[in-house]
Amino acid sequence: MEEKTQDKPQEKPQEKPVEKLIVSSSPHFLRDENIPKIMHAVVLALLPAMAASVYFFRFRAIGLIIVSVATCLATEYAFQKIRKKPITVWDGSAAITGILLALTLPPSFPYYAAALGSAFAIAIGKQLFGGIGYNIFNPALLGRAFLMATYPVLTTTWSEPLAKTAKAGVDAVSAATPLALMKFEGKMTSHMDLFFGNIAGSMGETSAIAILIGGLYLRYRSYINWKLPLGYLGSMAFFGAIFYLINPSKYPDPLFHILAGGAMLGAWFMVTDMVTSPVTPLGQWIFVICGGFLAVIIRLFGGLPEGVMYSILLMNAFVPLLNKHTRPKFFGEGGQA
Amino acid sequence: MANNNYNLWHEFKKGLWQELPPFRLILGMCPTLAVTNSVINGVAMGLATSFVLLSANISVSLIRKIVPSQVRIATYVVVIALYVTVADLFLAAMFPPISKALGPYVPLIVVNCIILGRAEGFAQKNPLTPSIMDALGIGLGFTLSLALMGGIREIFGFGSILDIKLLGEWFEPWIVMILPAGAFFVFGFLVALTNYLSKRKAAAPSGH
Amino acid sequence: MNKIVKMVLVLSITGAVSGGILAQVFHFADPLIQENRKKELREAIFVVLSEAKDYTTLEKGNDKEKIVVYKGIDADGKLVGIAFIADGGGFQGNIRIMVGLSTDYLKLKGIKVLEQNETPGLGNRIKEPAFEDQFRGLEIKPKVEYIKYRKPEKPNQIQAITGATISSEAVVKNINNAVERVLKNFPQEEILK
Repeated sequence: MEEKTQDKPQEKPQEKPVEKLIVSSSPHFLRDENIPKIMHAVVLALLPAMAASVYFFRFRAIGLIIVSVATCLATEYAFQKIRKKPITVWDGSAAITGILLALTLPPSFPYYAAALGSAFAIAIGKQLFGGIGYNIFNPALLGRAFLMATYPVLTTTWSEPLAKTAKAGVDAVSAATPLALMKFEGKMTSHMDLFFGNIAGSMGETSAIAILIGGLYLRYRSYINWKLPLGYLGSMAFFGAIFYLINPSKYPDPLFHILAGGAMLGAWFMVTDMVTSPVTPLGQWIFVICGGFLAVIIRLFGGLPEGVMYSILLMNAFVPLLNKHTRPKFFGEGGQA
Repeated sequence: MANNNYNLWHEFKKGLWQELPPFRLILGMCPTLAVTNSVINGVAMGLATSFVLLSANISVSLIRKIVPSQVRIATYVVVIALYVTVADLFLAAMFPPISKALGPYVPLIVVNCIILGRAEGFAQKNPLTPSIMDALGIGLGFTLSLALMGGIREIFGFGSILDIKLLGEWFEPWIVMILPAGAFFVFGFLVALTNYLSKRKAAAPSGH
Repeated sequence: MNKIVKMVLVLSITGAVSGGILAQVFHFADPLIQENRKKELREAIFVVLSEAKDYTTLEKGNDKEKIVVYKGIDADGKLVGIAFIADGGGFQGNIRIMVGLSTDYLKLKGIKVLEQNETPGLGNRIKEPAFEDQFRGLEIKPKVEYIKYRKPEKPNQIQAITGATISSEAVVKNINNAVERVLKNFPQEEILK
């Protein structure tokens, strides 16, 4: 359906103010929205998170983002060229995959590995399914999961933010993420550090506030449905709170859950992926509540410290099913069967 | 059932491409996916399966006229189970490391549908020599397929082939390739490749 | 009627012949398989008790819970330590470790991971010498501990593998459990005499 938008012969003039885009009714294109426009807004929304990662991790962050984005664009171009499909490299969607993937990587991650993950994300995660709009899984997360299985050591080697170590006058220091500290050593990180991002972790996951700014911008432009990010974070907080109330000394508080790790990035930029989230309201509720539940369960009881990635990927797999079984009835349909 | 040379060659050759078990028939998935994380494991599994296949085809072909059709499957399963147990014991006695690496997948040859498939689909209808050729062809095709899978996964997963380091220190192994997920990736690519090649072959006007 | 007789006959003969062949093969293979097992055990014991040239087996307990220790003996017939197997859960599947204990019952003489199904490249690094060697000379009192990211500070500590805390922890836990069981069931005096 996306291709249709692009081929649409008469695009209305750009001056017309954006009103509202109802994401849940994707087949209708009543407004002058198209993929490039939405995608460029998403890139804009990712700027604060990118800026934060560059501030905390300096040159490595710039390098990783450039490598990932360039590989994603090149892979998309090559794939479409070989398959003799229209080239849609500049619609911004591949660039977003690259940025999101880079933001989920540890700052010390090697460039060649980031390139491999990006190529996998676009080739296997997106183009093999038929390109934009047809992929089942969020390509960036799929690339990240592939890297996780391919380079388990590199993807779990973290360092303190350079902004922090520079003061102490030392180079990169290996460190554990707040989630790993919580899981393996029972140590908590202060909410303030989590909020502003002065912690070890993936490049874009460290600063909750930078992601929040971008997310709110997207919400302001009406490109994302509030149900998805807030529902996901709310579900994590809710299930986190249940365990916290059962045993506050063992389990972290709900605020920790939504501030630490990939929760913010996942909730605002991955759960809200238009292609891989359900279109019906009921489906969306099921999607985010189950997703948040899974993330908390994996964090507290799984082998890994972080569960956001797998929770979203798992729920992605259910999207076709959710769309099918939660479709609202047409007016006048059914009831008497 | 003309028993001339051409026919025998054909019975042998079909296992190598036309009826290549894992990639064309999508048969025998369990060992193809489970034990191919190195060339040596793939070849060992392929040879063990080929041995069972050959023995089962010979036995089934020999007794095909005296086995009543009502109990043929039961009889074949007993025969196949015999050879599988022999293969299992042989590996455990002579090659303990390989036996350990293949683990429960050697006894599982019993349920490999290639073997019962060849017994039921070929050996029970054909005399001894074609049955032998059939088993040799399919067995060789299967062994080569597993070796290919194992080779691809070993070079990416360990940076080596047959335990000989080919890629230097600079290569950071792709752990995923020796995990089950890697088996599915490689398998998917190889099936896609065989489909692509066979389509191209069919499209070529002078193809035989 | 005739048909049924034939069916029964064919199946019985096939079964009997197969059984006969199998018995022969087993007769030939079983001693070799037992020999392989014994060799593997002996090699593992000699790795964890490096001075040992021979060993004797001690067993205790009933069929339900049997505890086995191997007394390592050097060339002069002197006791060099005892070895036993620590078996327990890991990150995925079981981890089986051969553990060597010194005769003073204070230090480990070495460990060897026999079986494990940990994640390749991560958890399965517990079978690398760099990890196993940390246990040589490690004190077992009060119990074996692990720490992360730093070099061990106390004589009863090892450094966990970065990124594989769960596997490292499982090894330490299994060793502690096995040591405790052996200390309880095989008091030092009993071994020394």
